Amino acid sequence: MTLLKIENLAFSYPQSKEPALKNINLTIKKGDFTGITGPTGAGKSTLAYCLNGIIPHFQGGKLEGRISLRGESLFALGTAQISRMVGSVFQDPDAQIISTDVEQEVAFGPENLGFSPEKIEQRITGALKLTGISGLRHRPTAVLSGGQKQRLAIAAALAVLPEILLLDEPASELDPAGTEEIFQVLKKLNRKHGITIIIIEQKTEQLAAYANRIVVLNEGAVVMDDAPRQVFSQLQALKDAGVRIPQVAGLAGMIGINNRPPLPLTVEEARGFVERILRR
Amino acid sequence: MSRKSLLKVENLTFKYGAEPPVLKNISLDIAGGECIAVIGQNGAGKTTLAKHFNGMLKPVSGKFYVGGKDTGQLKVSVLARTVGYVFQNPDHQIFHDTVAKEVAFGLKNFQLPNELITARVAAALEAVGLTAHHATYPFNLSKGQRQRVALASVLALQTEVIILDEPTTGQDYRESMQIMNLVKQLHQNGHTVIFITHDMSLVAEFAQRAVVLCDGKILADGGVRSVFSQPELLQKTFLKPPQITALAQSLNGYAVPPDILKVEEMYELLKTRGEEIGCFN
Repeated sequence: MTLLKIENLAFSYPQSKEPALKNINLTIKKGDFTGITGPTGAGKSTLAYCLNGIIPHFQGGKLEGRISLRGESLFALGTAQISRMVGSVFQDPDAQIISTDVEQEVAFGPENLGFSPEKIEQRITGALKLTGISGLRHRPTAVLSGGQKQRLAIAAALAVLPEILLLDEPASELDPAGTEEIFQVLKKLNRKHGITIIIIEQKTEQLAAYANRIVVLNEGAVVMDDAPRQVFSQLQALKDAGVRIPQVAGLAGMIGINNRPPLPLTVEEARGFVERILRR
Repeated sequence: MSRKSLLKVENLTFKYGAEPPVLKNISLDIAGGECIAVIGQNGAGKTTLAKHFNGMLKPVSGKFYVGGKDTGQLKVSVLARTVGYVFQNPDHQIFHDTVAKEVAFGLKNFQLPNELITARVAAALEAVGLTAHHATYPFNLSKGQRQRVALASVLALQTEVIILDEPTTGQDYRESMQIMNLVKQLHQNGHTVIFITHDMSLVAEFAQRAVVLCDGKILADGGVRSVFSQPELLQKTFLKPPQITALAQSLNGYAVPPDILKVEEMYELLKTRGEEIGCFN
C-alpha cells in the first residue's frame, strides 16, 4: 500500500543559485525500510525537512511539487498534524532531547496532544519497551550513553504513534556498538511492528544489511532507487555519486558477480559467496 | 625519520575532579614518524588520553614526556610548537570571522613573518580544498567544511606531531577519504600522526599501529594486523574488525589468513586460489 508519495518535488533555499532538490519522485510503501544516502550537499536533509514540515513551516524558499501521505497533501497540514504522522530523529541527540529525565522526554509528545494520564502512561510504557530502555525510565537524560540517548529520541518520536519514523544520520556520532544498537531497534520496529522507516545514513554497511530499499541522492536528484542488492552491485555509479561501497559488496564486484548471484551484503552472505569459489 | 622515542607515557593516571579515574596506569611509547590509531568504545578514555599529548590535561599521577622533556613543567603554548591538535568538534576550536584569519591565528602566535603566514595559510587551505572560502565566515560553512578549517589551522603550524580526534565524523565518504589521504601524506612527510576513530576500515587502511583502550586501560597495543586478528579481544570494548577482516576470519577452515585488512588483499588471495583450482574468471 502506498503510504507516501513524492511528486516532482523541487526546493531552492532563499538566495541560492542552485536548487537543493530538483524534481524528486519517490513512492514509499507502508512497512518499507528505506535508506537514503549520498554525498554532502546532495539534498538528503532538505528532503527530510520537506517530510517533517520544517519546510515550508520554518524554512522559507521556493517549493514546488507535491507530497501526499495517505493521499492527503502534506504541505496543507500544520506542523502539529504532521508531527503525529512523521516522527523525527536527528543527528545530535543533545540538540533534540529537552527534558532532564527519560520519562518526561517520552511524555512530552502525548502530553502535548492532550491525552489522558492513562493514555500517556500507556504510550510511555509502550515506547520505552519498543526501544528497549524500560530500565532507564527514571534516569536523568544527561547520564545516558550516545546510543541510549538516540534510543530515547526514537522512543519520544514513537510515543505519538507516527506512521513514519524519519531519521537523519542518527548514528553518525555513535561508536560501533551504539550504531548497532540503533539499527537493531529500527529492525525490530520495522519487522515486528510494521513501522515505516526512512533513514538518511552514510554508514552503507548498515543500510545494506537492514534496509529493503536504497535511494541515492546526488546534486538534488534521485540517481538510484532500488533494492540494496541492485544498488550495491553498481560499483561505478556508486563511485560517481561518492557513496561508500560495503566492503563485501565491493569484493564481490571485483570478482564479478554475473555468474555468481546473488550479491552478498553481509559478512555471512559473503562467506557463502567465497566458499562457493574455494570449494570448487 | 628516526625511530627514537618521541612521546612517552609512563604509568599515567587521570581523573576529572573527584570522579573515578578515566585513565588507569597507561604506559605508551611512540616513536617519531609513527601513524597510530586510538580505538575503543565511547567513554573508553581516548580523547582524555589525546588531550595529554598537547598538555591540555596533566596527569594526576605518572609522567608524560615529549622529546624526553617532562610535560608537567611545560606550558601548552610551548608544547603547541611540537604537538598540533584537531578537536572532534570544530566549533570548540573556531572563533575568527574569516576562514583565513582562523588558519593564520596559530602562526601569528608563533610570531612568524607575514609573508610566511600568508603562504602557509594558502597552502593549508588548498590542502583541505577550501581555497575558495578563504574570506568566508566559518559559521556559514557546513560542519564538514568547518572540520576542515580546524584541520587546516593545525596543518599550517607544521608541527612534528599531529593529533586528530575523530577527523571524519560528519564527513561524507569522499570527504573522509580526502582527509585520510591528507593524514597519509603528513605521515609520509615524516610527521607523527595519532588519530582517534570509530571507523575500523580507516584504521585498517591508514594506521600502522593500533592502541585499543577499554575502560581507561590499554587492552591491546600493536600492529594493526595483529590487533585485528584478535576479534575476541576487540569484542571486549565492543569493536569489530572491518567487514573484510571479519570475512577472512570466518573462512579459517579454508586456510585464509585472519589478518586481511583490505578488499584488494582478499581479492588477490581469492584470485590466486581460484586460478589454482581453475574457477576464476
